[in-house]
Formats: sequence, structure tokens, C-alpha cells
Amino acid sequence: MKIVAVTACPTGIAHTYMAAEQLEKTAKKLGHDIKVETQGAMGIENELSPQDISGADVAILATDIAVEMIERFNHVQKIQIPVQAALKNPEAVFAQIKRA
Amino acid sequence: MKEVLQKHKQYLLTGVSHVIPFIACGGILIALSVTYAFKFHLVNQHGAPDFTQAPWLVKSMMEIGVKAFELFPAVLAGFIAYGMAGKPGLVPGFVGGFIAAVPQVVGDRNASAGFLGALIIGLIAGHVVNAIKKIPTPKIFRPIMPIIVLPILSTLLVGLTMLLLNMPIAKIMVGLGHFLEEMQGSSKVLLALLLGAMIAFDMGGPVNKAAFFFGSAMIQQGNYTIMGACAAAICTPPLGLGLATLIGKKIWSNEQRESGLAALGMGMIGITEGAIPFAAADPFRVIPSIVLGSMVAAVTAMLGGVGDPAPHGGPIVLPVVSNRLMFVLAIALGAVVTAVSINLLKQRAESSTTPAPQGQS
Repeated sequence: MKIVAVTACPTGIAHTYMAAEQLEKTAKKLGHDIKVETQGAMGIENELSPQDISGADVAILATDIAVEMIERFNHVQKIQIPVQAALKNPEAVFAQIKRA
Repeated sequence: MKEVLQKHKQYLLTGVSHVIPFIACGGILIALSVTYAFKFHLVNQHGAPDFTQAPWLVKSMMEIGVKAFELFPAVLAGFIAYGMAGKPGLVPGFVGGFIAAVPQVVGDRNASAGFLGALIIGLIAGHVVNAIKKIPTPKIFRPIMPIIVLPILSTLLVGLTMLLLNMPIAKIMVGLGHFLEEMQGSSKVLLALLLGAMIAFDMGGPVNKAAFFFGSAMIQQGNYTIMGACAAAICTPPLGLGLATLIGKKIWSNEQRESGLAALGMGMIGITEGAIPFAAADPFRVIPSIVLGSMVAAVTAMLGGVGDPAPHGGPIVLPVVSNRLMFVLAIALGAVVTAVSINLLKQRAESSTTPAPQGQS
């Protein structure tokens, strides 16, 4: 499955990047193709292009704050979760996709 | 209902995430220039720093820091409204927050509605904009909505509301200031215990951020001791756990000892999140241990009069902290308490035959 994701925590120095890493690691393990954009204290990094988003089956938004440029995701299936969920139990997040 | 609260928390945190760099910049510049003034006895007859004789650079650093602080309520309210209503939220949020920053005369003091006013008006601004957006408009008027009607109407409504709220909220802020200043002995200890517990409890999550933001907001009000207590509590969970893996080599696996080293590094730069890998593996033993350690650290720092003008914690802020020795002592005590309690809990678990409890915190 092709997945895009955005991670963002309030401070944007630790959780944001740890969650991104967890999602990438878990996706690889489960054989999914994933690209994760981080919206941390440095601003947007590894930005998702319109092609990335339109080609994705699902978007995971692991954020505790408002997502920058949320309108990019208007036409894709979205899953909104807290950052903690991606950190603590990333496998459950992917299980949620299969059900959705 | 729960979802509505969840959403509002997200709006507030959006504002907080944008305002943290402003507090960091203002707090540290002001602290450095004030430290310089005291060091070279540049004080007026009331004992307050006097910058008229200070070198240009020091004077300017003070001025720049103060400007960053003056923007604080505007940016906070602006981005709360932005998180809620998108771009149209920015104008009423910024203007409302800017009004909240205007000093009011309360009794013999000057106080502004400050961060509390900004939090409230930011949320109001978001709701006002979202409500106006819903008004049905005929097609020919639609283009003028976002450039004329929405900004003017929303900002007028929000501005009027804030002007009315300014005085009552400023009074609350003065009351809060009095309360914090007059707090002695036991109530001070109680506040520190609570802050320490909150900081460690979810290691950088929303509970931690609530305590952290309270400390940060108090910096802007000129009270550095709340953040001082937080700063000590912030770093002890990863430092304590890292220390535990060093002193109790036998009870930790190789992998855990490696993440112990990583945790020590994160602790040094004040990132509580370094404790998460340990807490995720064994929440029922790790979380009580780090909560206890952070409470000890916060109380020690509070009683030692540690002040931290930077909204960040850990040994990395040592250069700007006041009462440095007490700060170091607070961190050391907290880390040792965490390390000893987790190792004892772990040892006891291994000697008994009952299986370790499983689950998430």
C-alpha cells in the first residue's frame, strides 16, 4: 500500500521526528511504501508533493497541533491520530488502515 | 464532547508551538542583559537594573528581548485562531492578542491580560471567524467576503470583546502574581510537587506541556522560579533512567543499556522524551520512578530559588539559570532518586515469580 503521513507535536523538536521514524520503521516491516512529512520547529521538512498525496491510498496525520496546508489532503482518505499513538503503538495505527 | 475538547486542545497547542521561540528569544536576551547590569552594578536607587550607562549592545539586547515578549500575546492568540479557522483567523487573533498585551493599571501595579487574555481571545477569534464563514452569502458578494467583510467584522467583534475583557483578566493576572509571590514554604512545595509530577507523567505529552507552558508564561510575567522548578524536573527522567542502566548493569539488557546512553544525552539537552523507550517497555515501574525523581528535582529547585528565564530545561540551560549550584543539586538528586527507585522496583520484580504487568500507560 502507498501511504503518506504528517507528524507534528507542539514543541517540534523530539516527538515529531520520533513518530516519523516509528511510522517509517513499521511501514517497512509491514511492506508498505511510506513518505513522512515532518512539521517541526524547523518548519516543513521532507514535504509531500501533490503527486505523493494523489498517488497515496491513505494519509496518516499523527499531529497534536493543526496541520499546515491541510487542504492538500482534501481528496485522500485520512486517519487522524495523536502523536503518542504513532510513538507507542505504530502497528495498531496500520491495523486501523486495514479496517478503514 | 470529548472530541470538542480534543479539538480545542489542538488549537491551543498550535498557538503554543508558534510562540515558544518568541519566549526563548525574549527570555534569554532579557536575562543576559539583566545579568550584565547586575554584574557591573548598573542599578537605580530601587535596585532595579538601569541601562542608561550600559554599552550599546547590552541596552539593545534588552530592547530586542522586550519587543519579542511584547509580541507574545499577539502571536499566541493569532495562531490559536489560525489553527481553528485557517488564514482568516490570523487578523482577529493577532489584533485581539495585541490588545491583550496593553498594560492596564490595577491598583498600584501595571499588568496586562497577557497570556491568559491571549488564550481566551484566540479561541473567541477562531469561533467568531468560523461563525461568520457560515453566513450564507449570495454569489456576487462572495469575492468580497474574505477581503472585506470577514476581516473587518471579525476583528471589530473580537477587538471589542478584548477591550471589555482586558481589565477583568488583568485583575486575575495581578491576583495570580500576588499569589505566586506570597506563596511560602508548604504551598510552594505543593506547587513544585505538582509541576514535577506533571512534567514526568507523560514525558513531553500534553500534561507535561501544560506545566511547561505555565512556567513559560510566568517567565513573561517576570517570575522565573516556576520555570526553574520545571527546568530541573524536565531532564531528570531520561538522566535518571540512563544513570540506572549505568549503576545496575546486571538488571538491564544490552539493548536497554544502549538506550540508556541515548537517554543521558537527551537528558543533558532537556528532552524528557528520552525516557519514552523505557516507559513504553515497562510503564508501571518506570512512570512512578520518574514522577518521584522529577518531584524531588522540582521541589529542590523551588526551595533553592532557582530561576530559569529560558523556556527549556536540563543542564543545557545552566548558563542562563540563577542559583546554579542549587539547580545542579536539584537535577542530581532527582536523577539519583529515579535511578535508585527503578532499580529497586526492577530487582524486586525479578526476584519474585509473578509475571511483569503488561500494558500501556
